[in-house]
Amino acid sequence: MSKILIQAKNLHKKYQMTKSNIIHALNGVDIEVQEGDFSAIVGPSGCGKSTLLHILGLLDTLDEGEYNLDGIDARKIKGKDANQVRAKKIGFIFQGFNLIPTLTALENVMQAGRYGGMNFKQRKTRAEELLDMMGLKERMNHKPNELSGGQQQRVAIARALVNKPAIILADEPTGELDSKTSLEIIELLKKLNKENNQTFLMVTHNLEVAQACKKIIQLKDGKNA
Amino acid sequence: MMEIFRNMFRRKLRTLLTITGITVGIFAFTVMGSMALRFNKMISGGKSYITGQITIMPKGASYMSGGGSFLPLDTLEKISKVEGVEAVAGGISLMVKEPDPDNPTGGGFGQPATIEGMDLKSAYKNRNWQTIAMKSGRMLDKNDASTNNVAIGYTIASDEKIEVGDKMKIRGKDFNVVGIADQTLTGPDMYVFMPIESARDLLIASTPFLKSLKASSEEAAKISDAALAKLPQATRDQLIQAKAFKVEDLNQMAAASWKDGQDPDVVANRIKDQFKDEALVLSPTKLGETIDKASAVFNAIILGSAVIALIVGGFSIINTMIMSISERKREIGIKKAIGASNRSIAWDYTIEAGFIGIVGGIIGMLLGILVATIINTKTKASGAEIFLIKAWFMAIVVGFSFVLGILAGVLPAIRASKMKVVDAIREL
Repeated sequence: MSKILIQAKNLHKKYQMTKSNIIHALNGVDIEVQEGDFSAIVGPSGCGKSTLLHILGLLDTLDEGEYNLDGIDARKIKGKDANQVRAKKIGFIFQGFNLIPTLTALENVMQAGRYGGMNFKQRKTRAEELLDMMGLKERMNHKPNELSGGQQQRVAIARALVNKPAIILADEPTGELDSKTSLEIIELLKKLNKENNQTFLMVTHNLEVAQACKKIIQLKDGKNA
Repeated sequence: MMEIFRNMFRRKLRTLLTITGITVGIFAFTVMGSMALRFNKMISGGKSYITGQITIMPKGASYMSGGGSFLPLDTLEKISKVEGVEAVAGGISLMVKEPDPDNPTGGGFGQPATIEGMDLKSAYKNRNWQTIAMKSGRMLDKNDASTNNVAIGYTIASDEKIEVGDKMKIRGKDFNVVGIADQTLTGPDMYVFMPIESARDLLIASTPFLKSLKASSEEAAKISDAALAKLPQATRDQLIQAKAFKVEDLNQMAAASWKDGQDPDVVANRIKDQFKDEALVLSPTKLGETIDKASAVFNAIILGSAVIALIVGGFSIINTMIMSISERKREIGIKKAIGASNRSIAWDYTIEAGFIGIVGGIIGMLLGILVATIINTKTKASGAEIFLIKAWFMAIVVGFSFVLGILAGVLPAIRASKMKVVDAIREL
């Protein structure tokens, strides 16, 4: 049996919008992700998909429940350590346009290496290697606004891979792409999963994306459906 | 690092305006500071001279004007016998150019060229200013007494292109230049050092009253006492008065030096007590304090201009940084999501603010140096330079602008780093 990377039980998260309006974004969600998984969280808008991903990615804190990330009790990770864990164990891919606009593709990818503690040479080599793998060898010195949506997303994938994370969390990775490009991106992620045994957990409401996944976690009203 | 530069130029106009804010502040700092340095230098040179002696002036004269009254030789001799006094020297100070009645100040800013008539025979020595470094030739010594030899200050020599050995015409009379002093950036740069005897002659020649007094004194000297006795009372009194006039009595001021181990203020008070009807005695300590007050004013100008720079520039940096941080909220979110620590985010923004500061600082400083140099070149012709441009001060100016940027950047940077990732990410 493969190693369990994420094991979370009974996750709760409330957002207090106004005094009387409290939103229960998560209302007792259980989730398990094993090494090599290629899974998707699906569900209608407002069911808590993004909140779950943020909590799993240590971008947000949970109110109640247990969460174990690659052997670490996530409830005990605070501020500074969360940065480190994020830098080294987790890769993020957001819905389109998530690159730093002033940096070139190469610099964007290298930046993640900097936060992961690599020296300049190491991160340059690693970034070049990844961009080459993404088929962006010729475009690496271009700024995001000179790249197509698909190319930008491939840069973001390269950036997520820099620190060899245990898991990559993707929030609507094809959300702003046309269907042809979406398929290309999904194929790329699948290939990374297959060839490198890279674990992916993504949020999507694109059926094609969901169908490509080996495992599907369905949410409804902040609970497992 | 590249990111910082690119971020600065993302909003070119805004960055430019912020830099302009710093530039104005630092420009003021550079110019005012250099002016204050110049004055402080002048003042401290003057201070060291004036506190190295006990300055004595005739009653009814002010230090600046020189006035129309004199300290007779007789009084100076008596002062030199006061306990603790080592020696006394009379002095004459007059402008190199005869004053123009229509333009008494000479029209220029700064110090006009001044003749310093020195009593070279006296054993008086200024405690703090014993020698003056010479660029070429030599300083006057006691063998120059009563000669037409002069030594001149650096600025006079360079303005009039005079070399040692040249003749210099002063108030229609020829003098031999035997030495040129090194640049002091203070009073002596504009001095003509002259034996007091020659200076007295120039003073008499330009003062009608003294001229006629001297003439009648020479006339009176020819009349014997016996002949005098026969003259009518009124004429006789006049002649006796004229006979009593001695050129040596023409001392506009005097300086006394004290013996080793004496407290100059005590000695000054002794002179003050004994000669209170004839002389004003300025004790070194009191004068020093007065001068310190004047330099405190200039230091306040430096500080004041620095504070203006701080306020003008600092706030514009704070404003710019806060605005660009709220614009870049998304980016901060992304950076944090991919593992940036709060510290590295705060660092990036602080350094960016520091760079805005230093760029504005360097431009402001260069503009300041440019303006100061242009004004210096213009005012040099009519007197002295107003600004003293010092490398160490410029280093402080640039350093200050960097620190200013950093300080102004800290608050917005901390704000940026404390931003919650989820809040920032939501903007995606």
